[in-house]
Amino acid sequence: MLPENILTNLPFPSEFAKKAEELLAADEKVLFCLVGDLDLKGLYNQSAVLTTDKRIFAFDKYHEGGVLIVDLKDVTESKVKRMYGNAMLRVTCGDKKVDLFRFTYSVASLADGAAIFYENLAKGNDPLKEVELVEATFKKMKSFCPKCGRALSSAGAECINCASKGKLVKKLAGYILPEKGTLLFCFFLSLITTSMALAPPYITKMLVDEVIESSNLKKLYQLVVTLLLIYMVQYTIGTIRGHYMRKAGSRTVTRLRNDIYAKAQYLPMAFYDKISTGSVFARISGDTNNLQAFMLRITQEAIVQAFLAVGIIIIMFSLNWKLTLLSLIPVPLVVLGARYFGQKISPIYRRIWRRWSSVSAILSDTLPGVRVIKSFTSEDRAINKFNSYNNEWLQEDIRASVLANIFPHAVTFFVTCGSLLIWGIGGKWAIDGEITLGLLVSFISYAGMFYGPVNFFASLNDGYQSALTSAERILDIIDAEPEQNFGEGNMVESLKGKIEYRSVNFSFDKIKKTLTNINLVIEPGDIVGIVGTTGSGKSTLVNLFMRFYDNYEGEILVDGVNIKDIDLQSFRSKIGYVQQEALMFRDTIFNNIAYSNPSATVEEVIHAADVANAHSFIAKLPEGYDTMLGERGTGLSGGERQRLSIARAVLKNPSILIFDEATAAVDSETEELIQTAIERLISGRTTLMIAHRLSTLRKANKIIVVDKGEIIEFGSHDELMALKGKYYKLIEIQSMSEKIRKNKEAENFE
Amino acid sequence: MDRIYIEYDNARITKGEGILLNVELYDGRKFENLEARRLFPITGLDKYITLLDEEGVEKAVIRDINTLMEESRENVLNALHEYYLIPKITRIYEAYEKYGLLKMRVDTDRGKYSFDVKNRNNDIKHLYDGRVLIRDSSDNRYEIRDFRQLDKKSQQVFNPYM
Repeated sequence: MLPENILTNLPFPSEFAKKAEELLAADEKVLFCLVGDLDLKGLYNQSAVLTTDKRIFAFDKYHEGGVLIVDLKDVTESKVKRMYGNAMLRVTCGDKKVDLFRFTYSVASLADGAAIFYENLAKGNDPLKEVELVEATFKKMKSFCPKCGRALSSAGAECINCASKGKLVKKLAGYILPEKGTLLFCFFLSLITTSMALAPPYITKMLVDEVIESSNLKKLYQLVVTLLLIYMVQYTIGTIRGHYMRKAGSRTVTRLRNDIYAKAQYLPMAFYDKISTGSVFARISGDTNNLQAFMLRITQEAIVQAFLAVGIIIIMFSLNWKLTLLSLIPVPLVVLGARYFGQKISPIYRRIWRRWSSVSAILSDTLPGVRVIKSFTSEDRAINKFNSYNNEWLQEDIRASVLANIFPHAVTFFVTCGSLLIWGIGGKWAIDGEITLGLLVSFISYAGMFYGPVNFFASLNDGYQSALTSAERILDIIDAEPEQNFGEGNMVESLKGKIEYRSVNFSFDKIKKTLTNINLVIEPGDIVGIVGTTGSGKSTLVNLFMRFYDNYEGEILVDGVNIKDIDLQSFRSKIGYVQQEALMFRDTIFNNIAYSNPSATVEEVIHAADVANAHSFIAKLPEGYDTMLGERGTGLSGGERQRLSIARAVLKNPSILIFDEATAAVDSETEELIQTAIERLISGRTTLMIAHRLSTLRKANKIIVVDKGEIIEFGSHDELMALKGKYYKLIEIQSMSEKIRKNKEAENFE
Repeated sequence: MDRIYIEYDNARITKGEGILLNVELYDGRKFENLEARRLFPITGLDKYITLLDEEGVEKAVIRDINTLMEESRENVLNALHEYYLIPKITRIYEAYEKYGLLKMRVDTDRGKYSFDVKNRNNDIKHLYDGRVLIRDSSDNRYEIRDFRQLDKKSQQVFNPYM
């Protein structure tokens, strides 16, 4: 009998359960099962793997008799063979490979857990103890919100996305609410102007029917002055209201922009790996404006226009109900049209947004890379590419413009037909003496005014669709999962610098493992060189330590504490990170150095520059530390920028230092300057140095050789040279090329 | 070392273990247990197929599957079909948004399936040749060969999300 609380990802299919019950021995304990979604031929079908303390039962219609049974003691190896969009759980029994179970990526991490379980059992470990690992994997899977599927900050925690989700309006209302005072004031002013707008047609009726008819000059002047006063008050209030509305709008959009920018700072690197920065620009600039304009329209204009429409209808009904009904005939056509129009235009607006995002992405990619474009004389290519993307945007915009223009004009046409009906039928009634001429004239004015709200609500849908697209784009960032800060509040004063990697596995795309089974211990004060060919996983090794990516298996510890348990900001503040390309901000040299410690004194900054061998070149600049750097530090050489970034690291006074190919892009002479700066900085600090040129590792007391995501050699320079492995080969190759370079330099010198 | 390009009849490709392939070149060189992978999985499905050994080292590249001898062609296509699971969506029954996810129920060349799309702006790509590529929340891929060729109902259901 299968236990009821069986550890499984999905309900265990009853047909498999029935078969399993027949096959299970009385003393056999069921440990866990995986329910999959593919059969062995790769078609969508139910399949499952049931694991007991003795055997594995793989259920698939392509296994003989629908089930394959493997004794756990026969398994010598087990792995998940990842393919594209699917994977296979495979075990090796002696020299025979057996495909147990095929599945999509939906169950891949569970299958990984099962594979590790079988593998550990093959090593002789206790199944009941090893099943805890599988349980942890299942628990991790349940660390996803059952509603939206997003990862929770910790298992069982409330989903920040769903908790705050609510309705779109509710979320956006948060940005408008601080302006409620101003908006209420503006709304009050609108009511005054709208009420006043209702008066002139009625006064016109009085003018035609009472004043002109009776030639009453005194009353004529009184009414003209009244009209003048009404218009003056109306336009003055309109000006004041416009000013306050703009102020409220600008403040709302500023809040929205600030929020998006702040959120963008805390998004994980994985977000930026997938989304272009151009697209984030477009959201912060264009989308916020679009949304703000609509929010104000809906909170103000919509209510005012509705008020106006109701007011007009009441007055019209009180004047003549028959004529009122005539003028309402086009309304159903307008409403149905708006619905149809909305469905048609919404995908077009989304496409326009995407096209515009592509244009922005080209701008942000190519303008900073203008040197590359010029050096490859590919200006024309760049222009053509931009033109082609811009033209694609144009095509979509034209499509939208056709639809967006047809609709309001069609509405106006129907509404005009309504006014023709009033002229035709109302005119006859006036001739017949059923109604007065003044009533007809004022009625036509009211009907004309009524088209205002009708047109407004008809085109509101247009704005609504566009705003909805913008809102979606903005919420994409606001709702995106930020970097997980599991150890929030768990601050560290300083770090001794002991670093440990325990069975760390990592993959960017779940297809290819970038790091496999990394086990490493670095003692405090160690200077560790990380070498390996390009793409071997050197940078990923330190990126995980920097917590740029958190979704790895295994543990990374610093001073015996899991780095995920330490407050993220506190942890990163203890690390000095010097990259290959030293990024400078558009600011002075002083501020660029002080970026790592804004409260540093002038002398501390100068000292840091001195340690980094940067002070001497800064002192020679005409504007010294006040020299303004352009984008990416233009105006300085690569070596100078690198020394500034080292000065930044010096000023931060970190416990642990990381150099990611810091000297890769500079000449030998500058390298020497940087090298001495680095040597001053690293003394007494745990240092990880990724190096392409092995000569830069002269101070390293330990060397890690990474190859294809695995650590293949680890030890001191002498130990690795004696080993005559990969490191030895790399040294040989580099010494040879160094000799050639020196010979060439000597030849040129002669 | 020069890259070995396979085309026409300069190599015979036979089925190896599982999805692996064995290659025998016209000059007698043999490679066993190679895995076929597309170098251009989106833009060139039948062209430039790399053949990797167990260590991931490339042994040869097929220029165009369609120029190969019939038997070799079949073997390579089968291997690719097994490796790349990109179900072709033939009908869309449902596509609706819930809790910020786009939930889809579809029929594919590999059977009926339901999945969620996390971010419809990044996970749905409409290519110029009419193809639509979709990625679900578990990183599985799907393809609509030509959106315009789908039945009217499916087009109607999915159009708002394109």
